Amino acid sequence: MKKFSIGELYRKPGFKAVLASLISIVIGLLVGAIVILVSGLTSKGLGGKTAWEGIQLIFGGLFSTGRNASGALTFGFNPQLMGNMLFRAMPLIMTGLSVALAQKTGLFNIGAPGQYLMGTAATLLIALYLPTGTGEKLQYVSGAWATHMEALGIVGQTTYPAWLVWTLAFMGGVLAGALWGAIPGMLKALLNINEVLACIMTNWIAANLVTWVFDIANLKNIVENTKMGYIYKTTFNGVQTSKLGLDKLLPGSQVSGGILIAILFAILVYIVMNKTTFGYELKACGSNRFAARYAGIRDKRSIVVSMALAGALAGAGAALYYLAGNTEFYWETSQSLPAVGFNGIPVALLAANNPIGVIFSGLFMSMLEICGQKLKDLTAFNEYITDVIIAVIVYLSAFAMLIRMLLNKKKASKEALK
Amino acid sequence: MDSKTPEFVIEMLHITKEFPGIKANDDITLQLRKGEIHALLGENGAGKSTLMSVLFGLYQPDGGEIRKDGKAVQIRNPNDATALNIGMVHQHFKLIDVYTVLDNIILGAEDTRFGFLSKKKARAKVQALSERYGLKVDLDAKIEDITVGMQQRVEILKMLYRDNDILIFDEPTAVLTPQEIEELMKIMKGLAAEGKSILFITHKLAEIMAVADRCTVLRKGKGIGTVDIAGTTPQELSRMMVGRDVQLKVDKTPAVPGESVLSVRDLHIRSRLYHRDAVKGVSFDVRAGEIVCIAGIDGNGQTELVYGVTGLEKAAKGKITLQGKDITAAPIRQRSKAGMSHIPEDRHKHGLILDNTLEQNMVLQRYYEPRFQNCGFIRFDAVRTYAESLIEQYDVRSGQGPITTTRSMSGGNQQKAIIAREIDRDLPLIVAVQPTRGLDVGAIEYIHGQLVRQRDAGKAVLLVSLELDEVMNLSDRILVMYEGEIVGELDPRTTTVEELGLYMAGAKRQGKEAAEA
Repeated sequence: MKKFSIGELYRKPGFKAVLASLISIVIGLLVGAIVILVSGLTSKGLGGKTAWEGIQLIFGGLFSTGRNASGALTFGFNPQLMGNMLFRAMPLIMTGLSVALAQKTGLFNIGAPGQYLMGTAATLLIALYLPTGTGEKLQYVSGAWATHMEALGIVGQTTYPAWLVWTLAFMGGVLAGALWGAIPGMLKALLNINEVLACIMTNWIAANLVTWVFDIANLKNIVENTKMGYIYKTTFNGVQTSKLGLDKLLPGSQVSGGILIAILFAILVYIVMNKTTFGYELKACGSNRFAARYAGIRDKRSIVVSMALAGALAGAGAALYYLAGNTEFYWETSQSLPAVGFNGIPVALLAANNPIGVIFSGLFMSMLEICGQKLKDLTAFNEYITDVIIAVIVYLSAFAMLIRMLLNKKKASKEALK
Repeated sequence: MDSKTPEFVIEMLHITKEFPGIKANDDITLQLRKGEIHALLGENGAGKSTLMSVLFGLYQPDGGEIRKDGKAVQIRNPNDATALNIGMVHQHFKLIDVYTVLDNIILGAEDTRFGFLSKKKARAKVQALSERYGLKVDLDAKIEDITVGMQQRVEILKMLYRDNDILIFDEPTAVLTPQEIEELMKIMKGLAAEGKSILFITHKLAEIMAVADRCTVLRKGKGIGTVDIAGTTPQELSRMMVGRDVQLKVDKTPAVPGESVLSVRDLHIRSRLYHRDAVKGVSFDVRAGEIVCIAGIDGNGQTELVYGVTGLEKAAKGKITLQGKDITAAPIRQRSKAGMSHIPEDRHKHGLILDNTLEQNMVLQRYYEPRFQNCGFIRFDAVRTYAESLIEQYDVRSGQGPITTTRSMSGGNQQKAIIAREIDRDLPLIVAVQPTRGLDVGAIEYIHGQLVRQRDAGKAVLLVSLELDEVMNLSDRILVMYEGEIVGELDPRTTTVEELGLYMAGAKRQGKEAAEA
């Protein structure tokens, strides 16, 4: 009887997807452990003990609390790491949702980095150009930031409440991302240009455009310029996502209410894609554009809308990240694209494009980042081991998808033969 | 049985093959004589393909025995089958598009000299075979450049090149034009005369009557019997196949046409493929309570005409009116709402979203109606109930009911699902394009019956068909299309198939004749 019910559970496609992802994760972690072991045993100065510490951190880095007096690794609940994991998961969940939504509608959104960058630029410009206050004209205040405001010409302008500026900046990020997603969408819908190619190009256009904008925008942080080339944090203008008490819960971390917004977005995407006629249309279009057109669904519009929504999610991710207040933006992006945009792809892949699954795979990926950080801080290994793990997981989840596809095909052809 | 000269080259005795929940083959016996064409007849899902897969080593039978020349053999995989000189032409060809014909034929059985490919001998052998059996192919043409009929000849040559003497043809005519079918029949007879034994899987009775010597009939996984074709009739075969008497002729009363529902005037449609008009100034009316059939040889503009009427393609010129409303420039959704349902030509491309469930496909045209949504949220319970009622009412068979992935359903049931969906919308105009293509007689009878019932209920039906039987049987009026124009309007009760053929071939036309006279 029990065996039967396990079989029933196994036959559910959702269970299989979760299982496939979990297997990929375990194998990925094991491979990471093996890499550490091998490099530990073969490197001078390292050894079995160091390798064992590395392996411990790979699996349990999130719960690391440093080293004790005798130099041994200690583990326990670490609110700071927990909070940082939530914080870093926030943009990953958003870009993961972006990729997953596009995938569900038959599109491969490799343009998340560009959409994320455009979202970043729009958010920062709005959050830093609109002075906050209680509605009066902005007075000259002392300090370097004030000199800056004068140079920007925002002294003497009307001030706006911080919540309004936050909302406008967030909306700005969303819209900029949406626009940057809609461009490859339109190229695909109207000119039948492959969205992957168009996305790669819009990524680099965004990278250069953003560099150019910030080069002339006069927002470079000259107050805290211990690190060169960063843009002011939004807190300079008093704009910051509410912590919603999460900082009390997880003291010492970067966590903000943004993570809850990201989770809300995931639930929203799930509902829209699975429960509404709108989602049905988008998915129908993705599964079979011709059948959708036959049924009177405007397929071209659907493709543009799908890509715009995907872009909006990536843009929202950027907005949440930079509106958190404690994050700085390195403005010279023309040579590199934000990794968080690309990491949306493994997040979505690992979640089998399920929006709810994206929450967990996003958390997992950010946990790996934390583990890598701890590995670097506490041992002689560097954090790039986690890249190896992520790479293995991505390969395996793609592989798992392939196997799932083959299994389903075999099943389908068997059924067809009956 | 005399073991020295066994009567049968292949015997499949009491084959049983079970899949979870279904006995695909239940104690089936099939015996193939040397040099005969043996037809294997059955409805979709009767177990023909499973039986052939067992013979070809793709499945292991749960019970039963296979004998070659009287000796029991084990066929564990297709390589074993090949070693026993069994070859198969699959319904969907297994050819590499970018390779030449010769390369495809020798693929997997290449001659080599000092490790290098040597095609000279192969070429000579293929040429000899091609002449001996009258299989005309261009050895150096790429597969993607040749016709479907020629691709099939390549598949046959592949078998002959491997010296196969047991040839399996899996529904070989489904993809062919009538001329190509005739050619294939000739080839098959030639092969049999040369001593090859042929297993011919089909559900087309006319083809069996034309070429087969004997026929084994399957129904729902069971062997119903083997008959000599010389001593049987199509009626008997169809009765064996379906299990009841089948109406091969459509039973209908004369039409009582009412008001014009669809009116097309001087319609021009550009062809997407070629830069010319595919439809050139077509005008016609479809009235309530009649079935108007557009007949013609494939590729004479019928597809484009339907695209134009249904909105899949824009009209270059002309006017389309549906129930008095000008819909020439209307988008598809508006045409649909104005009263047009459409049974599309290509059920996989347009008719269904194959990866979606049956219930999702059942509401493909109406998911937005208040009945199935509430403030933009899909009413899943309403969708389920509706799908279940359609499945029951129209007898759509599938593995898991409403939640079956439509891809896993048989072609006949996929088509039934589309028909159910389109007819149940209860709209004044039904555009049905080749609604019975690739279906077995049982399903064809059913679909014809449904269309006639709709006509009798006062619907206007625009039927497009390539099958002459269907055209003659089902329609109340025939419009013949030739090179994008309507060249004749015929009454199926007074015209003959021969006359229809002359119009279809462009040898005769009404308008010009009259004009010239």
